[in-house]
Amino acid sequence: MRKIKKPVFFVVFALILLFAASVFFGVTTYYGDMNTVYVKGVDNIRFGIDIRGGVDVTFTSPEDIDATDAQLDAAKEVIVQRMINLGITDYESFIDYGNDRIIVRFPWKEGEANFDPEEAVKELGETAELTFREGYEVDEAGMYTGVTKDNVILVGSDVQEAYAAYSEDKSGNLEWQVSLELTSEGAKKFADATTKLAPSRGVISIWMDETCFSYPQVQTAITDGRASITGNFDADEAKALADKINSGALPFKLVTASFSTISPSLGSGALEAMVVAGIIAFAFIAVFMIALYRLPGAVAVVALVGQVAGTLAFISGYFGFMNGSILTIPGIAGIILAVGMGVDANIITSERIREELANGKTLDGSIESGFRRAFSAILDGNVTMILVAIILMGAFGTPDSIFSKLLHFVFFMFGPSTAGTIYSFGFTLLTGVALNLFFGVLCSRLMLASLSKFKALRNPKLYGGVRHEQ
Amino acid sequence: MNNKFNIDFVARKKLFFIISIAAIAVSILSSFIFGANLDIQFKGGTILTYIYDGAIDQSQFEADATAALEGIGVTSTVGEDFSSGRNNIQLSLISNSGLTSDKQIALSDAISEKYAANNIELLESSDVSPSSGREFFLKCIVAVLLSFIVLIVYIALRFKNIGGWLAGVCAVTALLHDCIIVYGTFIICHMSINANFMAVVLTILGYSINNTIVIYDRIRENEILFRKKKTKTEIVNMSINQSLTRSVNTSITTIVAMLAVTIVAAVYGVTSIISFSLPMMIGMIAGAYSSVCFTCPLWLTLEDKIGKKPKAKKAKA
Repeated sequence: MRKIKKPVFFVVFALILLFAASVFFGVTTYYGDMNTVYVKGVDNIRFGIDIRGGVDVTFTSPEDIDATDAQLDAAKEVIVQRMINLGITDYESFIDYGNDRIIVRFPWKEGEANFDPEEAVKELGETAELTFREGYEVDEAGMYTGVTKDNVILVGSDVQEAYAAYSEDKSGNLEWQVSLELTSEGAKKFADATTKLAPSRGVISIWMDETCFSYPQVQTAITDGRASITGNFDADEAKALADKINSGALPFKLVTASFSTISPSLGSGALEAMVVAGIIAFAFIAVFMIALYRLPGAVAVVALVGQVAGTLAFISGYFGFMNGSILTIPGIAGIILAVGMGVDANIITSERIREELANGKTLDGSIESGFRRAFSAILDGNVTMILVAIILMGAFGTPDSIFSKLLHFVFFMFGPSTAGTIYSFGFTLLTGVALNLFFGVLCSRLMLASLSKFKALRNPKLYGGVRHEQ
Repeated sequence: MNNKFNIDFVARKKLFFIISIAAIAVSILSSFIFGANLDIQFKGGTILTYIYDGAIDQSQFEADATAALEGIGVTSTVGEDFSSGRNNIQLSLISNSGLTSDKQIALSDAISEKYAANNIELLESSDVSPSSGREFFLKCIVAVLLSFIVLIVYIALRFKNIGGWLAGVCAVTALLHDCIIVYGTFIICHMSINANFMAVVLTILGYSINNTIVIYDRIRENEILFRKKKTKTEIVNMSINQSLTRSVNTSITTIVAMLAVTIVAAVYGVTSIISFSLPMMIGMIAGAYSSVCFTCPLWLTLEDKIGKKPKAKKAKA
């Protein structure tokens, strides 16, 4: 502590303000009409249907098909899984069994640049049936016919798991493909077919609905239950195809009956009200903290600005290596709780410093032992939050995320479909609390210790020290 | 000088237990009297989509629909159809609201008469069954139970020197207490139980466990300092009092911040935000109260009871 010098405060303070400013406003350049976004600001945050509205799609089964309840349930599961793959973790879905309708709502803002709802809706309604077929006989339109039409070797449901993988070709270029692990039944069918085709160097064509990816020649019998799909994919395409196979096929192609925008389910003006409420609540906290704790209070406010900015940064996708997340009301609840934890960490520390001063310790000694003695309470409180957040992210996250895999032994009996908005709560809570340990504990400590080196700021009164003596 | 406060919390435990039990009883009773108001996602219902030209006042439309339906509450969203470019308004009705086909006809008549100038017509009427409601709740409950177990284990390990297991169980009991009060708030205010309800419960859960841990932390520290000199009850009382300024200040800050949110939402007329911020505020009050007044007295009482049994068990704890 003694080593912390005067300039430390200015460095930490400036860094936090710079960071916060770049998060709130983003970093963009305008060159004529060209607007280039270097760093995403809060404007780039995607809000949930509850706060900013979105689109509402009604799918129905094709006219000639009378869908059963089970088929509709299965179709809804597949659609939900596809939405998660598209990064839509906030959605509502309903089934009308009487009219064979599936209603889906997901967030979208008019003019959103990197998300096209019409494209998304088209993808959601596709059958997406993967087939491995014997031979490669096609008509003029490129549609399978003859032997290829009749002899289906494998279908999507024979695949246990699909994942994107790559291999290097001779010139060292990466070649992306989708690797398939087959179910035991699928492995057997594939082994039989390849055993049959290998001697004649027969061909197997691989299709997604009516599109053929490739038609490799069978060199040897494949009996280990593994197959792969090649077809000039890049990394994203391979991943998207693997996701599509894993989500399964729809029992039939869905028809879009209606497609419209919807206003926020909380009511129009919800976003504006939330922003104003947030600013007023934060202003109150700032005034209250400074009035109560003077200098440590002011430091706490700077740390809180950093914490809030950091949380928003994780949500907006400010950090290029991480995708942003959709902010919903539960997500905001997570932020509120994390900010509460941040306020509390600073209050605990400030109270401790005050106590130490009241016990007659020197200013430096009080600051040092105040932080030290407050730390165990702050740590235990924050670690419990982190544990709860991890459980929620595991329960409601996408099935292939780390936390879901970690907690699979508990939640295996549930379908993967309930990713929902609670995940967003866990996400903002986890990031908020982790940032609290950084800003509310580490940065506060650096700033306060360095400020206390200034002569003008050595009056214990500024630390709440004299209140008890009077 | 440390003892700005000197309140004997443990001695007043009877009063606190009565307050807590009364609050829980009111919450549970009212859920039988009023019944839980489940959201359309969990209960199923009817979604009516109308398309129209020109402008319609959304809240006026909701009021007209409710009047035509003889008091059944509706919620609505407005939007624009992608293909035709016409405006639409969707009404959601929850299934147990008593919507009969007669009432639906009455609604259609009233709407088409009142908004004839807007060329209003019914585009779609869908009877939706509950979406993943049941599974969602079950999953939430499993997640909360798992959190409870993890919290008990964590507290047991970190607070070994003050008999961690029992402390963990008491902390979790207090959490249940707070969750029930939040539930009661939703019921009494006739707010619908939806994903936001879960968010509020989870927030209060975190808020309350943190309050408790701060007090436990002080007990842990004082136990080391004063083990030989003071009784357990004295140590607990001293610890609650020493951390009371912090408890009060943190509670005031967070509760008033939520109050600000509630007021702004009311001013903007976005009442749905209030159904989130108000229970949050009540939960915060319950959480602050339970960790100061309920958890520790409960813990001492239970420890007393268990302590009279064979010694071996206490050594283990």
